[in-house]
Amino acid sequence: MSDIVGSSFSTTLSHIAEVSDRESLDMVMKELAASYGLSSAAYFGIGVSGQSKGDPFLAVTYSSDWVEHYKERRFQEIDPVIQTGFRRLLPLDWDGFARSDERVKTLFGEASEFGLGRRGLSIPVHGRHGDRGLFSISCDHADRDWAHDKLLYLRDFQVLATHIHDKVLRLEGHRPKDSHLSPRELECLQWIAEGKTVWECATILGLSQHTVRCYLESARHKLNATSNTHAVSMAHRAGLLLPPL
Amino acid sequence: MIFAIESVDQDKYPELIDQMLRMRAEVFSGRLGWDVCVENGREIDRFDAEDPLYLLSLDERSGQLRGAVRLLPTTGPNMLRDVFSVLMPGGGVESPLIWESSRFAVNPRIFETKERAEANRTVNRTTVELLCGMVEVARQAGIQHIVSVFDARMARIFRSIDCRFEQFGTPARIGKTMTYAGLFDMSHDMRSRLGAAGNFREPVLADVVPPRPSAPGQMANAE
Repeated sequence: MSDIVGSSFSTTLSHIAEVSDRESLDMVMKELAASYGLSSAAYFGIGVSGQSKGDPFLAVTYSSDWVEHYKERRFQEIDPVIQTGFRRLLPLDWDGFARSDERVKTLFGEASEFGLGRRGLSIPVHGRHGDRGLFSISCDHADRDWAHDKLLYLRDFQVLATHIHDKVLRLEGHRPKDSHLSPRELECLQWIAEGKTVWECATILGLSQHTVRCYLESARHKLNATSNTHAVSMAHRAGLLLPPL
Repeated sequence: MIFAIESVDQDKYPELIDQMLRMRAEVFSGRLGWDVCVENGREIDRFDAEDPLYLLSLDERSGQLRGAVRLLPTTGPNMLRDVFSVLMPGGGVESPLIWESSRFAVNPRIFETKERAEANRTVNRTTVELLCGMVEVARQAGIQHIVSVFDARMARIFRSIDCRFEQFGTPARIGKTMTYAGLFDMSHDMRSRLGAAGNFREPVLADVVPPRPSAPGQMANAE
């Protein structure tokens, strides 16, 4: 399973990178849901429009029937994900919501009638300027697989959620964030460009492997890169790396 | 036991949050003499308004606050990038898989309720317990690394309990304090080492919400 997930991850990341408008974002959300075997995927952004009172940004795979129904029933007023999710740091497992509230129980009950999965996960995204995102998935995994699958999903979806959020900021007219790479991040990329492994980088630079991985993770994030190789080629193009030895 | 409290839920535990802010004032302003802003006996800064996650160590029997730490994502406003950038001249790290911890504090009041030797043991245990809680909560959220800014005193404590970290950037004197930035690996290995150092073999992170104070407790604290 991890192989399939692995390829979904890099494919989805490169598709997000290619998104140029709302339609292509909707398409990527559909592909993402399909490649991970999900019932639904949804992104909500607030504070992303550049105006203080801008509407939330939505990109969802939900049926329009469900969106209409949700609005009509004014579920946003009681939906615990929407009510508290943007202000959280920990991912929200929909299982954790007290279903003692009758209206919340109704909301989740009706959601599954409209094709959402019985299990769900929402991942908050915190941006630099008060912009926040919430990336939710739902699926119908068996109980015994859920705890395991959830951890695999989290690893991927923390990163995917941030890439989608950053892409939405771009679509809404924000300039790309100017994160310059630190000397250590550049050194690690330079050695990766020379074909060295993480272990070799760590030995050469006198760092632990986990520190090298951390610098590479940070460099990938700053460059919006989908992989180390991608980060190297982007850093090359930006003239940040020395020519190969 | 460690309880994770999201900012959005802090109104449910006003007493605990208030205890934490008073403890922070006592520790960071009182004992360590850091240049922090204390109002009304409570230490609070702008990052408390950025919806951090708080980890609180509570005594299982008395419910007393033993210590606390604050977690922020490195993708949003955080201390290393926005306050301590001098420690990372080339720019800090940033990723959805990297969090920042700050305001790590153990309650000095432990010394009021216990004998000195026992109090020292509790302080050490609380330090390790909070670190175990950080690793557990990070792993639950898919987080791989935590960065943190700390002083020479904390650096010595980390070394003494086998909590390995890699020094980041260049240490700098800020005010009276020699200040370091460090990187902590949120791995299974890290949790095992800490578990061995503090004898925490079982998870320390509670999977329930913190106990709500009983009515008399609330009265006592209304002052």
